[in-house]
Amino acid sequence: MARSGLGSPDQAVEGHVAQWRPGRVMVLACLISACGKEARDIGPTVAQTAPVGKKDPRIALFQGNVWQIAQGGRYFQYYGCAGCHHDGAPGTRDLADGLRRGADFPAVFASIAHGHGDRSYATRIPDEQLWQLTAYVRDLERHTPQKRRRQMLDQRSEPQAATWRGPQ
Amino acid sequence: MRPDQDRLDRLSLTWRDPPGLWGFLTTVDHKRIAARYIVTALLLMFLAGMLALDMRWQLSTPENVRMGPQLYNESFSLHGSTMLFLVSVPVMEAMALWLVPLMLGQRNMAFPRLGAFSYWLYLGGVLTLWISHALDITPDLGWFEYPPLSGPAYAPGHRADIWAQMITFTEVAALAASVNVAATILKMRPPGMTLARMPVFLWAMLVASIMTILSMPAIMLVTSMLIADRLVSTHFFSPASGGDVLLFQHLFWFFGHPEVYIIFVPATGFVSAIVETFSRRPLFGHSVIVLAILSIGALAFGLWVHHMFAVGLPRLGNNFYTAASMAIALPAGLQIFCWIATMWSGRPWLATPMLWVIGFVTTFVIGGLSGVMTASAALDLQLTDSYFIVAHFHYVLVGGAMFPLFGAFCYWYPKATGRMMSERWGRIAFALIVGGFNLGFFPMHLLGLMGMPRRVYTYPAGMGWEGLNQVATLGSVVAVAGGLVFVANALVSYWRGAPSGGDPWGGSTLEWAGEAPAPSWNLAYTPMVDGLTPMWNGGRPLRVADGVAIARREVLITSVTDADPLYRQKSASPSIWPLLSALAVSAMFIASIFTPWAIVVGAVPIGAALTGWFWPQRPRRSGA
Ligand code: HEM
Ligand SMILES: [Cu+2]
Repeated sequence: MARSGLGSPDQAVEGHVAQWRPGRVMVLACLISACGKEARDIGPTVAQTAPVGKKDPRIALFQGNVWQIAQGGRYFQYYGCAGCHHDGAPGTRDLADGLRRGADFPAVFASIAHGHGDRSYATRIPDEQLWQLTAYVRDLERHTPQKRRRQMLDQRSEPQAATWRGPQ
Repeated sequence: MRPDQDRLDRLSLTWRDPPGLWGFLTTVDHKRIAARYIVTALLLMFLAGMLALDMRWQLSTPENVRMGPQLYNESFSLHGSTMLFLVSVPVMEAMALWLVPLMLGQRNMAFPRLGAFSYWLYLGGVLTLWISHALDITPDLGWFEYPPLSGPAYAPGHRADIWAQMITFTEVAALAASVNVAATILKMRPPGMTLARMPVFLWAMLVASIMTILSMPAIMLVTSMLIADRLVSTHFFSPASGGDVLLFQHLFWFFGHPEVYIIFVPATGFVSAIVETFSRRPLFGHSVIVLAILSIGALAFGLWVHHMFAVGLPRLGNNFYTAASMAIALPAGLQIFCWIATMWSGRPWLATPMLWVIGFVTTFVIGGLSGVMTASAALDLQLTDSYFIVAHFHYVLVGGAMFPLFGAFCYWYPKATGRMMSERWGRIAFALIVGGFNLGFFPMHLLGLMGMPRRVYTYPAGMGWEGLNQVATLGSVVAVAGGLVFVANALVSYWRGAPSGGDPWGGSTLEWAGEAPAPSWNLAYTPMVDGLTPMWNGGRPLRVADGVAIARREVLITSVTDADPLYRQKSASPSIWPLLSALAVSAMFIASIFTPWAIVVGAVPIGAALTGWFWPQRPRRSGA
């Protein structure tokens, strides 16, 4: 997994611009209009760097795509996020409560990546997965607690925090 | 009795459809509805065949990049689901809708409007699947979508819902059609056609309909449970909280296995009709064939677990289902021997329909043999999910059901259109399809034995699979080319074919009694039957009876076993309500993918439409 652009967001800008300008406009137009909502692209990811501002065109690719969001849900469990951020957790830890509602993508991304002190997710979690996690967290309010529980139950035999050894 | 012109005119007036578009939307003529069904199914067969070619193109060389894994998943899922749910099952029902009243010498089905409703709902299922495909929401988990893969955690979005709901559509349509067929065959046989004198074709359609009625509820239940798991987070298929994923497999295959016989049993009906007519002698072993069909119908419900040998069931269970699966080869074999005996002792005439029967017998025997192999639990553990399985089920589905269907199409084409298809082009199409099919699919057995899995989008070079895969693709191309010749022949003959007259083949059963193309009222008088082959009664003209009204739509109801006339029954006239009801049901089905409230709210328009449909009509004026 490429690990470019891990440093400050400014560094990421160049990487992003260099990667993004050519082509893709057509694809994006389509994706933004939600016709790629169910797309499932299993190729090289576009998320090699952190998001650059609220208008980063990649945001739609993640936030508007059910598969990316679902992947975020799996990593939410793999990395043990649910340990603290379970339903009914006190204060801002209850993500589904909508406390994060309105928080924009780069802000949520930054608070996952850089806002967890020693856990330093920015260095432990590949960027693509951070994107997916962000999209999932921002989508949470649209899932009922029953639905979240149902999904977690299906994924019970997958790695859970303690048994997860990181991406291979 | 030669009907006079006045009678024919009055019948035409009584049974005509309103002109133009309104007539198209409201018709309850079983032949128009069935023709629509058949054309839609053939169109879908073409589309799904193109998908298959695309897949074969992808697999023709190692590490091909024509498709990625996702597109390949979507392609085989769409191909398989379309071929089974939207082509094979409906087209067999459609043949029944078209032929059953003709073979009974009746004017229409028992429930004419239910037939129309069935088609519109089927069309709803077709559009659901294929419009979703156009919007890139194609189901991508194969033709059976097991949870947890299809559950809420692993199948986000609506791909799996589309698949599940497409099934609901087609199954309601299938139930409607089957109830109709069964009621018509049981209660509307012409006087004299006791159960013992019923042609094999009608037996086949009756058994297939009853099987449909008994098996479809299982799959409607299970796909509804899947939708409930996904939509309102029920826990049917969540083992971690007491649910059971195997429940899905059991219920699915409790339908899924009978389904292959729901496809195959009507095909045996076609074959029996064709073999009889073209061997110029009554079918050898009529009762044996009928009993074989009945026992296939019963046994088919006791085999479903052979699709689940690899999931780890108790040994005894595996043994039982191995034995049961092998047992079904017995009645199937008996049928084949009866057909061969008929040909052997008759004077076979090798016109295209008969060629298709011969293609069927040879190909189906190969499929049956590979079936007996996979029926053995021990061997199946090696073969399952390999290309051997792909070869096996194409041999039985294409060889066992599509070839008889093509034969039936050529056989009854003159009855439907009044024209003959070209024999020359028919033979060319036959050679290309049967040759191409065997060339393309036989190597797949070997590929499977060499370890090539099914449902893979590519394979590395150096596995030794390249050559056989290329042959497989080549054969598929030849077969599809043959399919195009077949369709072209049917289209050209529709306008250019030689006029056929009412009975071009000298057929044995009642559908050949009338004119071709069959008029809206089918036969001018009610035929009287005194044997198994009413059209072959030593040159005597067919005995007929009068008495069923010609000034209003009426059919004759007879008793179940002896076909004694009981009473005359009013037959429903054209109506827009079936279409409106189907629209209301479709709206509810589609909306219930998104919100459970659709079921509550959607019930209102459905109730309204059904109320309109069943609105009591004024009693008939006396003497009308
Ligand atoms: C020339 C005609 C056809 C060709 C070339 C063809 C080819 C294929 C191919 C390449 C696959 C995917 C195999 C894999 O990778 O697992 C497939 C799957 C399948 N085909 Fe066909 N096919 C044809 C006709 C039919 C017909 C007529 C039927 C049914 C009546 C049918 C039913 C199926 C089913 C049920 C599957 C399995 C889909 C799944 O795995 O979920 N095919 N076919
Ligand atoms: Cu089976």
